[in-house]
Amino acid sequence: MKKGIVALLSVALMTGMLAGCQSKGNDKLVIAARGGSHVAAMEAVKATFEQEHGVKVEIIGLEAADLKQKIALDAKNKKSAYDLIMADDPWMPEFSEAGIFKKLSDLGVQADPDFEESSLALGKHPYGTGEQYALPFSGNVQLFFYNKDLLDRNGATVPQSWEEVLQRAEKVKGSGSAGYIIRGQQGNPIVSDFLPIFWAYGGQVFDDQWKATVHSEAGVKALNTYKSLLAAGENYETTDIVSAVSEGRAAMALGWPSWFISGEEAKADYAPIPSKGDADGQPVATGMIGNWMMGVTANSQNAELAAQFLTFITSSDSQKQMVAHGGVPSRKSVYLDSELSAKYKHFPVQLEALQNSVARPRTTKWSRVEEALGAELSAAIAGTKSVEAALTAANQAIDQVMQ
Amino acid sequence: MNKLITGSKYAILAVVLLSTLFPVYWMTVIATQADSLAKVSLVPSAPTWKHVISIFTVERYMLPLANSFMVTAASLLIVLVFGLSCAYVLGRRSFRVKFRNALLVWVLLVRVLPPIAFALPLYILMNDAGLLSTKLPVILAHVLINLPFVIWFMLAFFSGVPEEIEESARVDGASEFTIFAKVIVPLVVPGIAAVTILSFMDSWNEYLYSVIFIQSPDSFTVPLKLATLNSEQELTEWGKVASGGMISMIPVLLTAVFMQRHLMNGLTAGAVKE
Amino acid sequence: MSLHSKRRFQWLMLTPVLLLLFGLTVFPFMYTVSNSFTDYYYLASESKEFVGLRNYVQVLQDEVFLQAVWNTVKFMLLAVTTETVLGLAIALLLESVKKGLRFFRVALLIPSLLPPVTVALLWQMMLSNHNGIINHMLAFFGAGPFNFLMDINTAFYAILLIDIWQWTPFAFLLLYAALQAVSRSQYEAALVDGAGRISTFIHITLPNILPSLMLVILLRTIDSFRLFDKVNILTGGGPANSTTTITQYIYRHGVYNLQIGYGASASMIMVLLVLAFTVFYIMRSLGGKRYGRNH
Repeated sequence: MKKGIVALLSVALMTGMLAGCQSKGNDKLVIAARGGSHVAAMEAVKATFEQEHGVKVEIIGLEAADLKQKIALDAKNKKSAYDLIMADDPWMPEFSEAGIFKKLSDLGVQADPDFEESSLALGKHPYGTGEQYALPFSGNVQLFFYNKDLLDRNGATVPQSWEEVLQRAEKVKGSGSAGYIIRGQQGNPIVSDFLPIFWAYGGQVFDDQWKATVHSEAGVKALNTYKSLLAAGENYETTDIVSAVSEGRAAMALGWPSWFISGEEAKADYAPIPSKGDADGQPVATGMIGNWMMGVTANSQNAELAAQFLTFITSSDSQKQMVAHGGVPSRKSVYLDSELSAKYKHFPVQLEALQNSVARPRTTKWSRVEEALGAELSAAIAGTKSVEAALTAANQAIDQVMQ
Repeated sequence: MNKLITGSKYAILAVVLLSTLFPVYWMTVIATQADSLAKVSLVPSAPTWKHVISIFTVERYMLPLANSFMVTAASLLIVLVFGLSCAYVLGRRSFRVKFRNALLVWVLLVRVLPPIAFALPLYILMNDAGLLSTKLPVILAHVLINLPFVIWFMLAFFSGVPEEIEESARVDGASEFTIFAKVIVPLVVPGIAAVTILSFMDSWNEYLYSVIFIQSPDSFTVPLKLATLNSEQELTEWGKVASGGMISMIPVLLTAVFMQRHLMNGLTAGAVKE
Repeated sequence: MSLHSKRRFQWLMLTPVLLLLFGLTVFPFMYTVSNSFTDYYYLASESKEFVGLRNYVQVLQDEVFLQAVWNTVKFMLLAVTTETVLGLAIALLLESVKKGLRFFRVALLIPSLLPPVTVALLWQMMLSNHNGIINHMLAFFGAGPFNFLMDINTAFYAILLIDIWQWTPFAFLLLYAALQAVSRSQYEAALVDGAGRISTFIHITLPNILPSLMLVILLRTIDSFRLFDKVNILTGGGPANSTTTITQYIYRHGVYNLQIGYGASASMIMVLLVLAFTVFYIMRSLGGKRYGRNH
């Protein structure tokens, strides 16, 4: 018995050590990707490419923070473990600046004008004007979700400004349901949830000189509105937001399309995010863009082939096929495809939102800015700091990060 | 009166048991229900295995299970072989090691100091050594986690074996190695069993080092796989998360059930020795 | 048996562990120490520069870090105390009954067998406002719903509760084993002397299980000081930094934002803190492990 166990362990040990010894050949592409539907979508279409080029495409699905950290660690190696990487769009400046991506023009990849412009711009460094380093894999953009029945019952129409959102939320609250749901978890969630409101009031995180301007008239108005919205509703995490709005226990919330819309079915009604703060304010773009970009690593041993895969996976054909597996297109032609848009009713709204979208500030230090801003916003809604104090502190903290 | 006391004791234990097991029960309910969380009731109807099946077919859960077994087993083997020999020399009076206390503190510090401080430097080290494409870094990390515990735990067992046994074996002309392997080690088997089980549990659930060292999905361990099931821009698929957790528990649970006698014996003996 | 071959044997037995420890701890430690005095950013194009104590000053001046230290210490003290006391209480209770021991012992152990990620996600499901079973049950009694993880008054304690749920069983296991080891004759002697229950517990039980008690406290102190997964998944450190922990702070700066130098100095401060909290146990365990101490 004892000898058996020892033998078993030894075998396991030997296999364990030897298992890794096969080295990566030229017949394999490795993609570091965000786990979830992205991976499922790529897995569904990759066979065509594999057969055509006689390679094996291996896709690693990772949790977002793990993905960022693995890409960065791998970037300093002479030979990379990953040939292609996916990056959340706010990471793009940091990654491009650090030279993690190979310039796409060097690989003969054309930035097809069919890609939605705001998505394509995310892959350029400097933003919008520079060289193309990555292509938009997934054209995600935040939308405004609402429960139509609940609004109807309160005699309310779809709001066009945040002032109206608040009015309707308070009315719904008066009738006994939650008016508006914020996603106020400290960190990325609360920042993504607050920025569209801040933008609507005409706010910007930075001025032209990269000085923080969170503490501004717009900031105060937006944060006061945000707090009032919370008072007229709840602070939930994703799963609860979706079920509350879709089951009519809450009227309105912001969200990513994939939470509410799967395939042809939508659990709630949706519209672009209200583009004004006050009802008589100036409309501005407020739809936060949240694309997942894909590029070839600078230290890839297989860059040519990787570039071919990039072209393949972002092609119109691939995007059309991937929609059925949870893929989110980034090409205008796919959104406008009559067959698809007849089937997927949200396509026109989503394209409109993409075209009016805003990117989070393009700085290499965005993840640290987000961290600082998130902590102060959280303090403001928890009531440990006043709106003034929180915004002042946020301004200071962001300036310190940017130094 | 006595019956009343015994009765109330069992009542309290029942409450403890209920609060301990309810979350686990709830996990199995979620894992076997078709619909979203909203429609699940305390006593569920018609279980479905679709999540469990999809986790094996779509998510290829066999692979992480096999990897976890391999990594855990390999690291346990190293830890036991080296840890026992070290604990033996440090624990027996007949060996004079000058830096004994320094070594013991060093070993203990390895357990005490936070892994987050050393994970990145270790990555850099492993990377320079070109080991990252193998399973060796993860195995070594698990060794690092469990080695101190094994040494400290076994130290008490080895030092508890009476001198005379060792002496008489020596008089009989047994070699040092024979004394260790054939005479003393068999006497401390309960301790070895207990420490093996506890290390196994630690290793099976280890996340921090694994996530930094493991590069290929072919090498993912169970906790890593479970973490990827939780996602930002999509809704979490609770059915999958719950079935993944449920299945990952089975090997450890089986160990606990079948080895519980050894575990208890070892721990009890250890408590006397300390 | 010559002395010479005995020495050789001794070295042979120690060398593997010495090599392992040397390779796996000395370099990383030195590396972290030296980085903590630099502005090392992993993706920087220029090489790192020596900045003296700047990182340390910044870390110690950071409100968030101080909050993280306070949260961590508070969490550690509450978690360790509760888990040890509850674990001991359950162990005593179980020891005093006769039937169903095997079942209880295994069943009570289950929470500490689950991977941390699963534990966090499982409780997220259960604590959810709408669909969470806990709020459903509270609603049955006319209470709630509570926003456990988003409310500044409850988030910290919700995480504490989860930790207690997960790790009390571990404390129970070690303490129960220790209780088994107390010899019956000592209890009988006490009974003959006419000692009461409380007096027996204080004079006989407690001294006998003290080493195991210390071990439980040591292990739980070390591990609860590292609290990370639950916080990272369930609250992100919020609301208003009320659940931020030191490890999470280091993770955000040193790993996620790749400020290796800054993270390293926060790590070194954490190392000092951990040592401060455990040095007592370390000294004590060294004293207790003299050569050939037999019982």
